[in-house]
Amino acid sequence: MDFSLKAMLPEIFLATMTCVILVLDLYLSDRFRRVTYLLSQVTLVFAAVFAIALWDNHFVLMGGHFVSDKLAVVLKTSVFIVGFCIFTYVYDYLRERDIRISEYYILALFSMLGMSILISAGSLLTLYLGLELLSLPLYAMVAMIQRQNTASEAAMKYFVMGALASGMLLFGISLIYGSTGQIHLDALPVAINMAEQPDMLLLLGVVFVVIGIGFKFGAVPFHMWIPDVYQGSLSPIVLFVATAPKIAAFGMLSRFLWDMFGAAPETWQSFILIMAVLSLLLGNIAAIAQTNIKRLLGYSTIGHVGFIFLAIYAGNFAAGAFYVLAYALMTLAAFGILVVLSQRGIEIEDITDLAGLDKQHRWLAVMMLLVIFSLAGVPPSIGFYAKFVVLSALVDAHVAYLAVFGLVMSAIAAFYYLRVVKVMYFDEPTQTREITIPHGTNVLLSINTLATWVLGILPGGLMAICLLLY
Amino acid sequence: MLSIVDYLIFSGLMFGIGTMGIAINRKNVIVLLMCIELILLAVNTNFVAFSRFLDQTTGEIFVFFILTVAAAEAAIGLAILVVLYRQRNTINVEELDELKG
Amino acid sequence: MLTWLSIIIILAPLAGAISVGLLGRVMGRPPAHWITITSVAISFAASVWILGIYIAQPFEVFEKTLYIWGQSAGIPIEVGVYIDSLTIAMMCVVTFVSLMVHIYTIGYMCDDPGYQRFFAYIAFFTFSMLMLVMSNNFMQLFFGWEAVGVTSYLLIGFWFKRPTAIYANLKAFIVNRVGDFGFLLGIAAVFLVFGSLNYGEVFGHAELLSNETLTLWSGTTVSMATAACILLFIGAMGKSAQVPLHVWLPDSMEGPTPISALIHAATMVTAGVFMVARMSPLFEQSTAALTFILVIGGTTALFMGLVGIVQNDIKRVIAYSTLSQLGYMMIAVGASAYAAGVFHLMTHAFFKALLFLGAGSVIIAMHHEQDMRKMGGLWRYMPITYITMLIGSLALSGIPPFAGFYSKDSIIEAVKLSTIPGAGYAYFAAVAGVLVTAIYTFRLFFMVFHTKPRMDDKTKSHLKESPWVVTVPLILLAIPSLVIGYILIGPMLFAEHAFLNPSLYVLPQNDVLAKLGEHFHGALAFTLHAPMTLVFWLAVGGIALMWALYIKWPGIPEKIKNHFSIIYKILVEKYGFDIFNDWFFGKGTRGVGNVAWKVGDIKIIDGAMVNGSAHLVGRIAKLSRYVQSGFLNQYVQIMIIGLLGLMSWWLYAWVG
Repeated sequence: MDFSLKAMLPEIFLATMTCVILVLDLYLSDRFRRVTYLLSQVTLVFAAVFAIALWDNHFVLMGGHFVSDKLAVVLKTSVFIVGFCIFTYVYDYLRERDIRISEYYILALFSMLGMSILISAGSLLTLYLGLELLSLPLYAMVAMIQRQNTASEAAMKYFVMGALASGMLLFGISLIYGSTGQIHLDALPVAINMAEQPDMLLLLGVVFVVIGIGFKFGAVPFHMWIPDVYQGSLSPIVLFVATAPKIAAFGMLSRFLWDMFGAAPETWQSFILIMAVLSLLLGNIAAIAQTNIKRLLGYSTIGHVGFIFLAIYAGNFAAGAFYVLAYALMTLAAFGILVVLSQRGIEIEDITDLAGLDKQHRWLAVMMLLVIFSLAGVPPSIGFYAKFVVLSALVDAHVAYLAVFGLVMSAIAAFYYLRVVKVMYFDEPTQTREITIPHGTNVLLSINTLATWVLGILPGGLMAICLLLY
Repeated sequence: MLSIVDYLIFSGLMFGIGTMGIAINRKNVIVLLMCIELILLAVNTNFVAFSRFLDQTTGEIFVFFILTVAAAEAAIGLAILVVLYRQRNTINVEELDELKG
Repeated sequence: MLTWLSIIIILAPLAGAISVGLLGRVMGRPPAHWITITSVAISFAASVWILGIYIAQPFEVFEKTLYIWGQSAGIPIEVGVYIDSLTIAMMCVVTFVSLMVHIYTIGYMCDDPGYQRFFAYIAFFTFSMLMLVMSNNFMQLFFGWEAVGVTSYLLIGFWFKRPTAIYANLKAFIVNRVGDFGFLLGIAAVFLVFGSLNYGEVFGHAELLSNETLTLWSGTTVSMATAACILLFIGAMGKSAQVPLHVWLPDSMEGPTPISALIHAATMVTAGVFMVARMSPLFEQSTAALTFILVIGGTTALFMGLVGIVQNDIKRVIAYSTLSQLGYMMIAVGASAYAAGVFHLMTHAFFKALLFLGAGSVIIAMHHEQDMRKMGGLWRYMPITYITMLIGSLALSGIPPFAGFYSKDSIIEAVKLSTIPGAGYAYFAAVAGVLVTAIYTFRLFFMVFHTKPRMDDKTKSHLKESPWVVTVPLILLAIPSLVIGYILIGPMLFAEHAFLNPSLYVLPQNDVLAKLGEHFHGALAFTLHAPMTLVFWLAVGGIALMWALYIKWPGIPEKIKNHFSIIYKILVEKYGFDIFNDWFFGKGTRGVGNVAWKVGDIKIIDGAMVNGSAHLVGRIAKLSRYVQSGFLNQYVQIMIIGLLGLMSWWLYAWVG
C-alpha cells in the first residue's frame, strides 16, 4: 500500500484552501471581499503548479483508486487555467451587481475539486464521487442568482435531469461491477478479456455509462438541459458551466472508453457514432432558429460535441483531446466577452444586443469576430485546426463519408455564426453606451482571444502534448 | 433461495418505476425528487446483491458512498425547490416552461 | 545562425503588419510608419547578413523545415526555408525595394485617411513575398502566391470609393484565378509524379518527370514534363501578366503609386519569373514548355511595348513597359538563360521602382494629375526627380553603362545563341523591342520634363520638388540603377563560379550563358563592345527619334497619328483584348449565363437547391424548436427514448 500522498497534492491543497476560504469569508466584511477573490486565484495558480510538477511520473495511490498520469496533469492544469480566467472575467460583473461574490468562487472551487478528482479517478467509485462533487455545486450555482426569473427553473431542470443521468450512470456501474467483480479501471480490461464472450450485463452497463458521459457533454439525445441552462442563467455562470466541466467530462470519457474499454472499441463505438451524428445534426440546425445568443452558443456547443464524439468514434483520442481543449479556449473567450459586455445594468441576452458593437467598442468587436470565426472554423484558427485533425482522423479510419458529413454540418454552422458577425458590424446600435473594461481583464481576454488564432497557426506544441496522452 | 436474476429483475423494476415516474409526472416537483431516490435505491439493491453473490465487500462499501451522496443530492434538490417556490409560488412541473425553443 | 536569421526575416514584417493592422488607429500615424519601416529594415539587414555569410563561405543550399502545421492524406503542410543564391538575391531585392517604398509612402500617402491601413498592407505584402521566395515546398509557395495576390487585390482596391478601382480589383482577381487554376493543377501533377512537395526531393528526381506521359485523349499523349511545366507556367502567366493574361496589370494602376512600384513592378509580378527559375530542373525536362515560354514572352515583350507608345497616362506607360520587360525576363528563362532572367529581374526591380516612384513624385507635384498631355517642362521645378528619372529612363532603354543595358543585352545575346524552337521569333521580338522601349520611355520623359508647360496656371504656381522622404528613396534607387549592372554582370552571369549557378540547373546543350561566357572579358569590354551592336544603335536611334519628334519638330506626332490612324487605333485599343474579353467573357458569357441563370439558376439551383435547402434547413430548425418544448417531463421522455434506442441497439448486437 502506497501512503505517499504527493501525487494528490493539487486536490489536497485545493480542498484545504477552499475550506479555508469558506470559513475566512464568513469573517470578512463586505469591503474586503476582494480577499476572497485573490485567495481563490492564488489557490488555482498553486494547484496548477502542483499539477504540472507531476508531469513526468505515473502515480497510483489509495489502493488504485487514484491515478495521476499525463492525461490527468494536462486536463487538470487546463481546468485550473480556465478557472483562473473565469474568475478574472466575472469579478467586475459580480461586484457591479452586488452579487454574493464569495459563493460563486467557493462553489466553483468545489466544483473544480470534483473535476480534478474525476479526471484522476482510478476506480469507478472515485469516478462517481468526483462526478457528483463536480455536479452538485453547479446545480447550486445555477440556482444561486435569482435576478432572472428563469434561474430557478433552469436549475430545477438541470438538477432533475442531472440526477437521472447520474442514476443511469450508477446503474451502469453496478452492472459492470456485477459482471466483472471489479471496480478498478486498470483491472477491468483484464476481467473483460478473461470473459471469452462479452457478457450481456457488461454490454448493458456500457450503454448506461455512455449515456452518463453523453449527458455530461450534452450530446443528443441527452442534451436537453444545455439550451435551457445556458439561456436561463446569467452569463458568468454559463461561462463556468460551458467550459471547465467539458474538460472534466472528457477526462471521464477517456477513463471509461480508453482506460477501460479501449481494448474493445466495438462495445461502445456505435453508441458514440449515433450520438455524434445526432448532435451534429440537431446542434447546428437548431442553432439557426435561435435569437438568444447564449442559447445559440448552447446549440453550437452541441454541434462541437458532435465533432469530439466523431474523433472518439475514429479511435483518435488525441484529436478529441485537442478538440476539447480548443473548444474550452474558444468558449471561454466567447462567454468571457459576453460577461464583460454585460455591464451598467445591461445583460446581453439577444443577438441584437450585440448590434453595432463595432461602433461602441472596436477592440471587443474584433475579439468577438476572431472568436466567432474560430468557432466557425475559419482557417487558420484553432477551431479550424481542431476540425481538420478530426476530419483527417476520420479519413484515416476509412470513414470518409463521415468527414464529408462533418464538413457539410460545419458549413451550416458558418451560417449562424456569420449572422452574429453581421449584427455586430453592420447593424446600428440600439442604444448608445460606454463600455469600459478593467485593464487586467482586457489583457487576459485579449491573450485568450489571440491564443485561439496563434494556436491555430502554431498548433504543433499542443498537438504533440495531446499525442503524448494516448 | 433467491437467485441473482430475481434481484436484478427487482432492481430493474424499481429503476423503471423511478424513471417513468419522472417522465410521466407533470404535477409535483417533490415527486421527482422521490423518483430520483427510487433510482438510487435500485442501484443500491444491485450493488448489494452483486456483492453478496460475488462474495465481496466492495459493492456494499460502494453503497455507503451512494447513500451519502444521495443525501447531499436531496439537500440540493430541496434547496432548489425552495428557491423555485419563492420565485414562482408554484412547484408544478407543467408551469416550468419559460425556457424552450 | 541561418535558421534564426531566416526566421527573423520572415517574421519581422509580419509582426509589423499585425501590430499596425490591429493597433493602427490607437497608435496614430508616426508610430505606424516607424514600426513597419523598422521591421522591414530589420528584414533587409538580416538578408544582407545572409548574403555576407554566403559570400564569405558559399554553401550549396541551406534547407530546413521550421514548422510542421499538420498532415493531410500524407501531404505534410509545413513551413520551411530553402536558402541558396537565388533565394538570397530575391530576398535582398524584395526587402530593399520594400524598404524604399515604405519610406516613400510617408510622403505619398500623407493626406490619406487610410494611412495606417496602407502600411499594414505593404508590410504584410513583404511578409507574403518572403514566404513565397524562401519556401522549401510547393504548399508554402502556393500560400505565398495566394497571399501576395490577396494583398495585391486589397491594395488595387485601396481607394474603394472609386468604382474604377473596384473594377480593376475584380479584374485582377478573376484573371489571376485562371492562372492559379493552372498553377494548382501543375502542383497536383508534381505531387502525382514525385509523391512529395518538398523542393529537395522533387528536384533531386527531376528526371522522373520526363519518363511519365499523360494521355490527353486516346492516342494523344504528352510527356508529363511538358504538361506539368506548362500548367505551372500558366500560373506564372497570371501572376507575371503575360499575354493573354496580362489585362489586369494596366488596370491595377488604379492603386496608389507606391503599390505600383512595389507590387506591380518590382516584386510580385516577377514572382512568375522567379518561380520558373526556381523550377529550372523541371523546366529543363521539357523543350516544348520552353518553346511555349519563349513565344509567350516574345509576344509580350514586343506587342505590349508598342501599346505603351500611345498611352497618355504616365503610370500606364510605365505599366506597359513593365509588361514588356516581364516579357524579356520570360524570354531569358525560356532560352534556359535563367541567370540572365533573374539578373534582369533585379536590375528591373531597381530602375522600374525608380521610374514608378519618380512618376509618383511628378503626380504629387501635379496634384494627382496623371495625364502627360497636361505636363511638360517640369525639369525646371523638380531637379532631383528629373535627374533620377533620366537615370531610370536610360537604364530602361538599355544605354550603357546603366544597369538595364547589361541585363537586357545578355538576354538578347543569349537568345540569339539558343537552339530551342521559338528562339528565332523571340530574338526578333527582343531586338525590335529595344527600339520600342527607347521610344515609349523617352516619349514619356520628353513629354513630362521637356516641351512647353501645358498645365493650368494654378497647378503651375504650386509646382515644387517633393519632400525628402520622396526624393531620398529616388536617389537611393538611382544609385543601383546606375551601377549595379556594371558591377554585377561578371559575378552574376559569367564568372567561373557565378553567383546564381549553384541554384540553377541547365542542361549542357541548352547552356547559352556558358557559351556567351567564353567571349566575356570583363564588364568594361562588354560595355565598350556596345557601339558595335545593332541593339545599341536601335536604342540610341529611338531616343534621337523622340527628341526630334517631341522637341525639335513637335507637330509631327499628331500628323503620324492621323496618317496611321488604323495602327494607332489598334494600339489604343490594345489589340482589342479588353474589347474581346468584354464581348466574349462579358457579353458572351453573360448571354449564355443569362439563359443558364434563368433556367438553371433561378429554377433549379436557387429555387430547388439554395433557397430550397435554406428553406428546408430553416424549416427543420423551426421544427427542432418544438422538440425543446420546455416541459421537464418531455425532456426526460426524450432521454428515455434515447436510452431505449441505445438499448435496442445493444439487444440487436447481443442477439445478432
